[in-house]
Amino acid sequence: MIRFNQAGLILPADDPTQQGRTVLEPCTLELAERRIAVIGANGSGKSTLLRMLNGLVSPSTGSVAVHGFDTVRQAKSVRQRVGFLFTDPLSQLVMPIVSEDVELSLKASHRDRNARAAAALHALAALGLEHLAQRSIYDLSGGERQLVALCSVLAAGQDILVADEPTTLLDLANNELLQGTLGSLDQQVIYATHDLDFAAAADRALVVAGGKIAFDGPAHEAVAAYRWLVRHGSLAS
Amino acid sequence: MSAAHQMLLGHYLPGRSIVHRAPLAAKYLVVLAMGTAVLVWRIPAVGLGTLALGLGLFALAGPRVLRAWAAPLRQLWWIFAILGIHQSIINSPLFALTLVSGMLAVIQCGRLVLLTTTQAALLDGLERAAAPVRLLGGNPATIALAVALMLRSIPAIATSVQELSDAAKARGIGRNPATLAAPVVINTVAYAQRTADALAARGIMERN
Repeated sequence: MIRFNQAGLILPADDPTQQGRTVLEPCTLELAERRIAVIGANGSGKSTLLRMLNGLVSPSTGSVAVHGFDTVRQAKSVRQRVGFLFTDPLSQLVMPIVSEDVELSLKASHRDRNARAAAALHALAALGLEHLAQRSIYDLSGGERQLVALCSVLAAGQDILVADEPTTLLDLANNELLQGTLGSLDQQVIYATHDLDFAAAADRALVVAGGKIAFDGPAHEAVAAYRWLVRHGSLAS
Repeated sequence: MSAAHQMLLGHYLPGRSIVHRAPLAAKYLVVLAMGTAVLVWRIPAVGLGTLALGLGLFALAGPRVLRAWAAPLRQLWWIFAILGIHQSIINSPLFALTLVSGMLAVIQCGRLVLLTTTQAALLDGLERAAAPVRLLGGNPATIALAVALMLRSIPAIATSVQELSDAAKARGIGRNPATLAAPVVINTVAYAQRTADALAARGIMERN
């Protein structure tokens, strides 16, 4: 269970470049559904909301807790439970060979190198990626890279996955491949997307507009509300 | 990053040859022995001998690795040519041959280690070698990760330079290095921030 308790992000007023800008207005939420989509325009505050979920962004007001762990004060415990998938997998993959990158995620839990390598292969096989184990990350397609990045995240064993526009850089085939993989996971998945069909497949969706949660409800209703906001030019703060 | 750049840097080529399976320490010992021989005995026979030995080790590592042997010559031949001509003039052609062949032998032997060893194995070796820093309160794993990130940043920066260079060319700005410097630095800083976010998100090197 994830709880936002009046959590928001307002930039400091004494910063001349930001002048107290509200990135995300304080909001109170409970996120328990298995699939939750976050939709909204670029710069609306979607990524800020997602990054608060595993402590990459600290709220300036209120707090965020994951399974009771505060994302600021207990960031390590939170990150052991919340994995994060970025838009660009190349920013996320650190090691040059696929299996090595998965092994990096396992370093804390598997000190023995052989055991770690076996666990990495097992994690790759779980997503049907074992044939990529010895491939260079530079030789993979965009979809394969994103799946490997997902595998590296999941290998650490978190039970919540946060994905920030994971399909944005992918072509149709890879997009569908990744959506299918995300859909089959046992973990709770919270994802931001511009793909409204992908958003509509969620159990619940949040529409973020101008730093506010403009709608929160069933995914198909959220998509309709977002379309209405776009048509009526109501996305600005 | 282009395949040519990867080959030049010594990108790992999977294999099961005796060279691939040799312990990392043995590979480093060969590099050390070759480097020492080239430095101590500055004669053409040693330079050419170590170069031939290195080529033999490439062959032993398999055809894929052997094909990568010439990569530095294809791209950096002009550096060796300038060095050889310069040394021929200020010393002698024989000395130039000794220097260039010895240098190339050691570079190739170093590349062979990178071509036949996974980065994970290299970093594990580095972590073990850096173990004494624990006595000073340091963390060998942090040092190994820093090296991994440094190696990872080379292709990222090379790609950034290539993309910006293409963008400048497309806009008719040309390939003036001074024009590219600022955007390359900005892209590099942005890349560093994204990498830091990714490491933090994966809980790697978490302290608190």
